[in-house]
Amino acid sequence: MKKNLYLLFLVTSFLFLFNACVKDTDFNQTDAIELTPILELDFIFFNINSQNFTDIDANNLIVSDTTNLDFLNSEVATEAIIRADFYFKNTNSFPISLITEYQFLNDANEIQHEVSIPIQDGNTVNPVITEFTEIVENNDLVNLTSATKVVVNTIANSSLNTIDGNLDLQSKVTYYIRLEQ
Amino acid sequence: MKYLFSCVFSFCGLLLFSQNKEVLYGLDETPQSLLLNPGTRIINKFHFGIPLMSHFHFNGGSSGVSAYDIFQTSSVDINTRIRNKIFELDDRDFFTATQQLEVLNFGWKNRKEFYFSGGIYQEFDMVLYFPKDLAVLAWEGNANDIGKAFDLGEINVRGDLLMVYHFGVAKRWNKKITLGARAKIYSSMLSFSSTKNTGTVETRFSESGNNIYEHIATNINLSINTSGIAPLIDLEDFNQITNKISNRAFFGGNLGLGIDFGATYEITDKWTASASFIDLGTIFHTKDVQSYSTKGDYTLEGIELLFPPIGSGESAPPYYEDLIDEIEGTFPIDTTYNTYSQMRPLKTYASLKYNFGKTVGANDVCNCLDTGEDQRYNQSIGVQMFNIFRPKGPQFAATLFYYRKISDYLTLKTTYTADSYSYTNFGLGLVTNIKMVNFYVVANNLQWYGNIAKAKSVSLQLGLNIIIDEN
Repeated sequence: MKKNLYLLFLVTSFLFLFNACVKDTDFNQTDAIELTPILELDFIFFNINSQNFTDIDANNLIVSDTTNLDFLNSEVATEAIIRADFYFKNTNSFPISLITEYQFLNDANEIQHEVSIPIQDGNTVNPVITEFTEIVENNDLVNLTSATKVVVNTIANSSLNTIDGNLDLQSKVTYYIRLEQ
Repeated sequence: MKYLFSCVFSFCGLLLFSQNKEVLYGLDETPQSLLLNPGTRIINKFHFGIPLMSHFHFNGGSSGVSAYDIFQTSSVDINTRIRNKIFELDDRDFFTATQQLEVLNFGWKNRKEFYFSGGIYQEFDMVLYFPKDLAVLAWEGNANDIGKAFDLGEINVRGDLLMVYHFGVAKRWNKKITLGARAKIYSSMLSFSSTKNTGTVETRFSESGNNIYEHIATNINLSINTSGIAPLIDLEDFNQITNKISNRAFFGGNLGLGIDFGATYEITDKWTASASFIDLGTIFHTKDVQSYSTKGDYTLEGIELLFPPIGSGESAPPYYEDLIDEIEGTFPIDTTYNTYSQMRPLKTYASLKYNFGKTVGANDVCNCLDTGEDQRYNQSIGVQMFNIFRPKGPQFAATLFYYRKISDYLTLKTTYTADSYSYTNFGLGLVTNIKMVNFYVVANNLQWYGNIAKAKSVSLQLGLNIIIDEN
């Protein structure tokens, strides 16, 4: 009798040890996992004076520069970025107003997205700050992420010959990311 | 990145392991207790483990998260639960994994009462510390942490796949002291470790005034040592990979030497103390070694446009390409092939137990379940301590146990353990000896067996041996 009880205990114990279960869990929830980080990154910056204009011609009204942004149409960027907030901070000490243009071009040099910012005139004693935010999402974002370069044009309303001053740009982008299965 | 997190959390919940075998330690009815204390007092005359079936060990845990914490059915979004856990854990939290499969185990006692034992077992061991700062950065980004330095030194991971060949001897020198030692040869099949990293990355408001921010990488010094992995990278066929790894198991890999030693001190017939040191050794990685490292400092402020006077048909300066080249030039990845050595994770056990109940094995007692020249009892209670040295320091466990030899063919041991994973871990071990066949099964975290997903660690050990005792 005692031996039978031992056997019963033994069998019960073994069954217990091998009968662990998992419940109240749903591993299919992995499908719902998404990372949504928000990244703050510097964009471009420059500081130009009247010589940048007059080196080309005394009455030149526009200066341009271009940089590649290959990462914009990378697979990761096109799939993961759901919104991009561009922030431009222009500090102008020229006594004239200007316009800065940002043309995002694809490899065929076709404009995919464009930003134009009118900048208030300032003076060398009290430079004037013009801030501008461009929010890019939805279809605009699709266009933006097909670009591979940006052309920056700075356009003066009148000649800067013999005029003192600077235009200082600082800019950043806030990328809203979503990574999902 | 999402896949990475899925893997990490699945890993946390299901595949996290430790090395502590608190139930098996001191369970002298199983020959495998000799691998935890070579100085175990062995009463049998001969044992032979059934090849590939004498010991299987699977033990997993995480110090801070269970599968249930993440995957529970709940109205709370899983992403919220993950986020909460990321912020709850810290860089001292870890995930560990250990798996062992014994290929061979044998032992015999000679006429001078020396008990010799030897064997072969395969082991996988891995520890990954939670890189909290990187997890926060990946999950949240840097937008809410302007001015915070994210610590890359939290990257700390180590893993080994190896075969261990061992031979040891135990001897009861007198009625009080049993001493034992075991020599080991390690044949490493795969190894990787990245444990000495430094550096921070930070986004802060610009101090130079050039742009809005400065993205600063400071004192970056990252490295990873690998052995046995590089030759596998170019292999496409899975069979080729397994064959390559298998060949290293039989002294074809990177070799190492180690020693275990232990002792049992029978203070009185009621009180017994024991202690052991396991895997005091080193593996010398000399073959198929590749180490990767990078170091440097860098500050990124965006792309500066210079508006040079460019004539028609001329191109603008390659700002973006220059920037990428500059970053890659600052952080070149050096590949070296220098040999290196690596200490095995040293484990230590210590225990004190009080024996009571019916006498077993005494000369003058007739109701014994076991016979021998000295008094033994069929019950004991005691305390055990365990410690394993990991890259960020030792991990401790404390155990209370109750042992009972119920009959000559059934022994059990129950344990209550507090460790880095949990303060409440109940374990149970059962050993049966039917004729010469010795079978044991050990599991822990029994309180979670109703829903094992809630356990922060799970453990299972089982095996089959042939034992011939003194009689």
